[in-house]
Amino acid sequence: MLTARRRVVATAVILAGSLLLTSCGDSDSGSSGDGKTLKLWHYEAPNSAMGLAWNEAIKEFKAKHPGVKVEFEEKGFEQIQKTAPMVLNSSDAPDVMEYNKGNATAGLLSKQGLLTDLSAEATKRGWDKKLSASVRTTSVYDANGVMGSGKWYGVPNYAEYTMVFYNKELFAKYKIPEPKTFDELTAAMDTFVKNKVTPLANGGAEYIAHQYLYQLALSKADRAWVDSYELYKGKTDFHDPAWTYAADTFADWVKKGYIGKTSSNVKAEETGVSFIQGKAPILFSGSWWYGRFVNEAKFDWGTFLWPESNLTLGSGGNLWVVPKGAKNKELAYDFIDITMSEKIQNLLGNKGGVPVAADASAITDPKSKTLIDNFNTLSERDGLAFYPDWPVPGFYDVLVSETQKLITGSEQPDGYLDALQEAYDKGVPQQ
Amino acid sequence: MTVTVERRVTGKQTHAGHPRRPRDSYALFLLPGVLAFLAVIIVPFLMNTGVSFTDWQGVGSPEWSGLANYRELLDDSEFWASFRHSLFMVVAMAAVPTAVGLVLAAALFDYVGKHFGSKTVAVLRACFYLPQVLPIAVAGIVWSWILAPDSGSLNELLKAIGLSSWQQDWLGDPDIALYSVMGVMVWVQLGFPLVIFMAGLQRVDPQLYEAAELDGAGWWRRFWHITLPQIRPEIYVVLTWCTIAALKVFGAVYVLTKGGPGGATNVPSYFSFTTFFEKTQVGYGAAISTVLTVIILLLSLIGLKLQTRAEEREGS
Repeated sequence: MLTARRRVVATAVILAGSLLLTSCGDSDSGSSGDGKTLKLWHYEAPNSAMGLAWNEAIKEFKAKHPGVKVEFEEKGFEQIQKTAPMVLNSSDAPDVMEYNKGNATAGLLSKQGLLTDLSAEATKRGWDKKLSASVRTTSVYDANGVMGSGKWYGVPNYAEYTMVFYNKELFAKYKIPEPKTFDELTAAMDTFVKNKVTPLANGGAEYIAHQYLYQLALSKADRAWVDSYELYKGKTDFHDPAWTYAADTFADWVKKGYIGKTSSNVKAEETGVSFIQGKAPILFSGSWWYGRFVNEAKFDWGTFLWPESNLTLGSGGNLWVVPKGAKNKELAYDFIDITMSEKIQNLLGNKGGVPVAADASAITDPKSKTLIDNFNTLSERDGLAFYPDWPVPGFYDVLVSETQKLITGSEQPDGYLDALQEAYDKGVPQQ
Repeated sequence: MTVTVERRVTGKQTHAGHPRRPRDSYALFLLPGVLAFLAVIIVPFLMNTGVSFTDWQGVGSPEWSGLANYRELLDDSEFWASFRHSLFMVVAMAAVPTAVGLVLAAALFDYVGKHFGSKTVAVLRACFYLPQVLPIAVAGIVWSWILAPDSGSLNELLKAIGLSSWQQDWLGDPDIALYSVMGVMVWVQLGFPLVIFMAGLQRVDPQLYEAAELDGAGWWRRFWHITLPQIRPEIYVVLTWCTIAALKVFGAVYVLTKGGPGGATNVPSYFSFTTFFEKTQVGYGAAISTVLTVIILLLSLIGLKLQTRAEEREGS
């Protein structure tokens, strides 16, 4: 018979053992699936162009795969961004999931062997033919996890790019014509300032501010400069003419009142809302706002590409990836294939997204047509220059923090560029 | 049996020659707590400490790097700045709420209670405590609206009362942002010491106050010579608890400023979070949180020691 002390010890051993077994859980995901269930995760809002298109793709998938159950889980961007490595290392990985593109995200996971090599499927199913070179850049990663070459680890079904959104009614009110050149853009901003209107919607607490700055640099850059910065094909000097021009011009724009001095702690959402509310006449940002402005802006607005710049921020959209431990990979490939079909791509285009393989004649909505035409213009001139935070993990925070200092005037352009150089050099992969 | 009774009466508990020892039986009740403590606190802490000696991106195999992360911390100006900001948070979340909470608790208990009744006291106490109940994410968003530079309520209010020159970019100006966050934290934190102190005041013998009043002591002298010494244990508990809360403050910074502008409101827990998840420097992030845990642990021990010493002094 057990004494009280022995009972205590025995219970402790059993419980501790169970806890250890639970915490160290078997992460083996080797067991193959039954081919009857597709586990799918994505993080697009249900009313966004992508959300609508992916829901339609699920319906299509079910019709083509009778008897197969789709287990869809709607996730948040941050949720997947922060937990993907842990999830993909466990037996809970889905069969197919949406994931952020770039060296610090999909590249890192591919380098660690957590994603399935999709090269054979991309050739077999013709995905490689459907994607333009600049969109394809974020699909392929080399052994170091650097995008642009190597094996296929993800498939983007849409693209994104930045443009100038402008409030036509406010431009008309102050008798300002649509700017066709950079000088006309600055002249327009001068007129707004004279009329006590801050022309540029800006948000220093998130990506908006440093995307203005990167665009200014891109207007003085070329593809080799981008490859050097993003793909490490050369040395990046933040005191070169392009970066120096960008930092000086940005600081000057704050001084001139084109950018509000009180915008340093403004978030991206608030920036977009200030445009929707008709407070700010100009917003330079991405195509992800397009569908929302169509639905919510109650005034006449238009878009144009950043004047006198061959390059702008943009890339293929988020990727469909197949985790290494996925149990039903064939079903996953079938689903990706459906999202690349003309039917789904046309739907995406008509709902305000930028499809990568749509039939141009099937896009009937005039605003969507403009959006896609602009993308085609960019695509033809190889104009997508990715995003400034991609090259180094954590560079997003550095860019936000340092650009805030430029807005508040607590840092001068030279010091700003020094800080970027230091963070970039520290984080850039040694090859 | 006689022996047991005798032991209970005398209070001298020895184990000699007793078949059923109460302490062993009680230990069983401690078991779930001990196991949960091991699983949720000790094991993760040891794992985190282990990770802090590695260079790891969160996936793949961690590489042993010894004390490299800790050496890097010593030279990291961002890390030291975040700790300096933590000291400001200690002022906002421990020192100020404790001091103000003491005065308010005494005023509610000793003055408002007598003149306006216990119901009024209960309502006021609940009002002060309300921010503690609100999720910090909700409170943070509301405060970010209030403190917004262009159409925030505070600036609008200042304008309405003719103090336009006092308008500020409360959360966007690096010279002011930290003080703004501190102000919000005082508002959040005040209710906690107030409630604890009011509970403490319930056990003070009312005759002490009556006697002091008869001797002609005013409110302030009664507060200084009766209230303060009587609720000293509560003051120690509140100070220790609030200091720990200040050192690990995260939610408010995340919602209000994300450590900005330009790192002006960064604190160690947020710094550790961004290092972990944004920069994927898991080893370095683990080193930051290990240092933070050790500091919190030391401060807790010092707080407990001071409290025990004060109690012993009073007992003797």
